[in-house]
Order: sequence, then structure tokens, then C-alpha cells
Amino acid sequence: MTGTIFWTGRPVPFRTGETVATALLRAGIAAYGRAPTGQARAVFCGIGLCQGCLIRADGRITEACLLPARDGLHLSPESGDDDA
Amino acid sequence: MRDTVLVVGAGLAGLSAATELARAGLPVLVVDQAQAVGGAIHRQPLPGARSIATGAQRRRWAGVMAGAAAQDRRITLALGTRFGGVDHTGAVLLSGAINRLIRPRALVLALGARESVQPRPGWTLPGVETAGSLQTRLKTLAEPPAGRVLLAGSGPLLLALGAELVKLGRPPVAILEAGRPFARPLAALRLPRSYWTEAAAYLARLHLARVPILTGTHLAAIRAEGGALVAETTDGRRFCADHVALHDGIRPNDIGLPDCPSLPVVRLGDCREALGARAALADGRAGGAALAARLLGQPEPAPDPELARQRAAQARLSRLYAHDGAARLADLPGDTVICRCEARTVDDLRALGSSPSTRQLRLDGRFAMGPCQGRFCGDWVARLAWPGTPNPGVGAPRWPARPIAMADLLAAADETEGETR
Repeated sequence: MTGTIFWTGRPVPFRTGETVATALLRAGIAAYGRAPTGQARAVFCGIGLCQGCLIRADGRITEACLLPARDGLHLSPESGDDDA
Repeated sequence: MRDTVLVVGAGLAGLSAATELARAGLPVLVVDQAQAVGGAIHRQPLPGARSIATGAQRRRWAGVMAGAAAQDRRITLALGTRFGGVDHTGAVLLSGAINRLIRPRALVLALGARESVQPRPGWTLPGVETAGSLQTRLKTLAEPPAGRVLLAGSGPLLLALGAELVKLGRPPVAILEAGRPFARPLAALRLPRSYWTEAAAYLARLHLARVPILTGTHLAAIRAEGGALVAETTDGRRFCADHVALHDGIRPNDIGLPDCPSLPVVRLGDCREALGARAALADGRAGGAALAARLLGQPEPAPDPELARQRAAQARLSRLYAHDGAARLADLPGDTVICRCEARTVDDLRALGSSPSTRQLRLDGRFAMGPCQGRFCGDWVARLAWPGTPNPGVGAPRWPARPIAMADLLAAADETEGETR
């Protein structure tokens, strides 16, 4: 493990080059809160096509499955408070 | 940038096309949204991770990389860079590691395949993903997933993925295959030899690990129960797992990629016709060489016969895997989500009446209107709305090919040289 990202404040280690999605999954985090429809936000296609894994990263909404993990990155659900 | 050919996708088709274009003397920019080359099939592992590719896969990819390396003076590779789309003037938006508006000489779209996944109750639960999603993760990390894995749907990818899980020490609890691909061994014998050797290696690995492969078995529904996923087949069997990977074939990943009147646009590999890895390699090479000839005003080379061979082989494979799964769509419970983006259900579709128009489906029903632009629901919405109609579409996706942050759009360096837009 080469760095730490934060899921709603909780530290999660990651391997160099991996995505936020794979780092979170290793830590047992498979769902990223809820979409406006009420459905759970989670990885489905894994390659940026389905938009199902939208997450808030340092304030910006993006696909967790494409986003490279970088040290100190703060992640939270797409909607709601950053501390949700 | 005006001399540069832009290739989107650093997989088999994209990199082999780039190599041919560069060999003909053209500068090429290859972009890929991923952090590693290889596309879906040959996704390369993280630094320090041991590749789980088979020997044949490694040799094929080594050949592609050697070809590209020999042309590295003319090929620029930008990973972590996404293609946003191309407008009517030929301006292309790239975002990510490279954040620019450029005007290339030509555009090669080699975005591979998207997976087809049949809707089922529970297919939106966390822990349920496409087989390709799980496979990309295994190839990248070379580490087994935590917990039990169930593979379901139809197609040879399930066997490949199952064998890779065995290799990583985490055999799937079962493979539920809707078709009966082993029921007609004589027909299977007519597949190319390389298909056979590949399948035999996967089956041997799965057999040694005692993985149950249930053919003619449809996964009916998945539900979350006590922190796990419970999958039930149409004949009432139940499987508990922590991950469920679904796959019902592949389609060209060509949604939201319009043609452009002011720029040559070529689709290659699975993005043009979903025929698998062998065809993608041949198509990339032949298509790259043909585009180079066209741009340089030279006679186009003859088409590669390999493509026709692979088309025939894939058609044979589809017949071996044929099953009636799509007919079961009509039996889905009314609250089954069809459109994942906007959580639109079978009942929402039925409420539009029989034979709704595309306009009704989209504007009233909100089907295929979410950010995925119908990539995952379009085929099923069409089948449900217009049963028996061959290959209907549910409207016109448009660029941007994916949602783009306003910040990226504003920050993109405009390198279109002040030309009229």
C-alpha cells in the first residue's frame, strides 16, 4: 500500500496506479450512498460507461471506476453532506 | 495537431491501427481513459502485480506492443485521457490528463465493446456488476476478490473469468450459463482450433477446482439477505455470494459517437463490429493501413480475410450459446428496473401502452435518457416495447459521449488554432 484516501473521513489505503473504486472495495466499501433515484451508487460496468459509480472526489462528481487514487483524496457520496 | 491522427482506445484495435498509421509516416496521438494500455482484453497489471494473462494472450499483446514501440517516434500515448466527442466542425474535446480542444486530421474510434446484461430483479444491488468489470479488476490488481463470487448469464467470457478466478485462488461458487454450449460437440468442433485450445484450458482449470458449471440455467433474481447476495435460478436453485458478475454477450461500444462531416472518422475493432480479440487485432491493422492510404492519397489495401473468418467463427459460437433468455423479459416482475440511470421499471414501460413511439419512450418514459444514454437499457427497452422487431434502436444518442464537467470544458486549452467553429 502506498498511500491513503479518505471515504467520508475514514482512511483507506491504496496501491499505486489503482482506482478509487478498487481501493474502496478492498476496504469493504461497495456502495457510495444513493443516487437521486434512491438506487445505491455502486460499480457496475467498471469502465466508465454506466455512470453508476458516481462519487464526490474533493468536491467534484466523477466515476469512481476511472478515478486514480491519489494520496489525501477526500471522497464522499455524490449527494448530501461531505461528511455523510 | 492538424497533421495528427487521433486514436481513441489503447487496446488491440487502437494500438495496432496507430502502428500502421505511424508506419505510413503519420503522427498519431493515442488516448485512453484507463491508466494502463491493453483495453479490456489485454488490460495490463499495476506496477509490481503479476499478470494473470494466458501465454497466448501475452504473446499477442507483446506483438502489438513491439509494433507500436518500433514506431514510437510518431506515436504519442496519453493515458487517463477521455474522449468527450467531436462536433460538426471536427473539433475534439479531450479531458483528464490531457485537457484540450483539438482538431485532428482524422479520428479513429477503437473503444472496444460494451457488455450486454439482461435486466433481472436485483441487478442494481451493490456487489452485482458486469463480468467485464470484475475481469478488468482481476487483470489490474491480480488479487482475488474478498468473498464468494457467482458468475451468471451467457457466453465464453464466463468460462475465461471463472478460470482466472481459479488461478487467483478464488474459484467461483458456480457458473450459471443460460445456453447449452456443450450439448452439440460436433458443431463445436467446427470452431477454429485456437478457440478450442483456449476453451479447453479454461475448462480444465475449472474442472480441477470442481467449479459447478450449470448450463441451460437462468439466473432469475438476486436479493440482498443478511449482508450477502442470494441468487435464485428459474428452476428454484439458490446460491449465496458476495459478488455476482453478470454477462450476456458484447455489443459495439459505439453509442454517442456520431460521424463528422468535416473529419474522416473510422471505427475499428469491437467498436465497429463486436467479434472479439482476434478480429480486433486484424481490424485495427487493416483499418489503420486503409486510413493511412486514404489520407495519403494512395490506393487502399485489400481487406484482411481474417475478419471474415472471425465473423464466421463468432456466428458459430453464438449458435452454440443460443438460448431463450430474452423471451423471459416478458415475465419480469413489474418493479424490475430496466433503466438503471433513472430507475425506470417494467411497469413504467408498460404504462406507455403497446407499441409506444421512440419519442414516448424517451420523453414520457425517460428510457435511454440518463447519463449512460441507453447503453445498458436501450436493447432491452426496444425488445420489450416492440417484441419481434429486429434490432430496433431507441433514439439518437449524441455527444458528449459521456458527461463532462463544466470545469473541464472551461479549462480545456483550445488548440483548434482560432479557426471558425
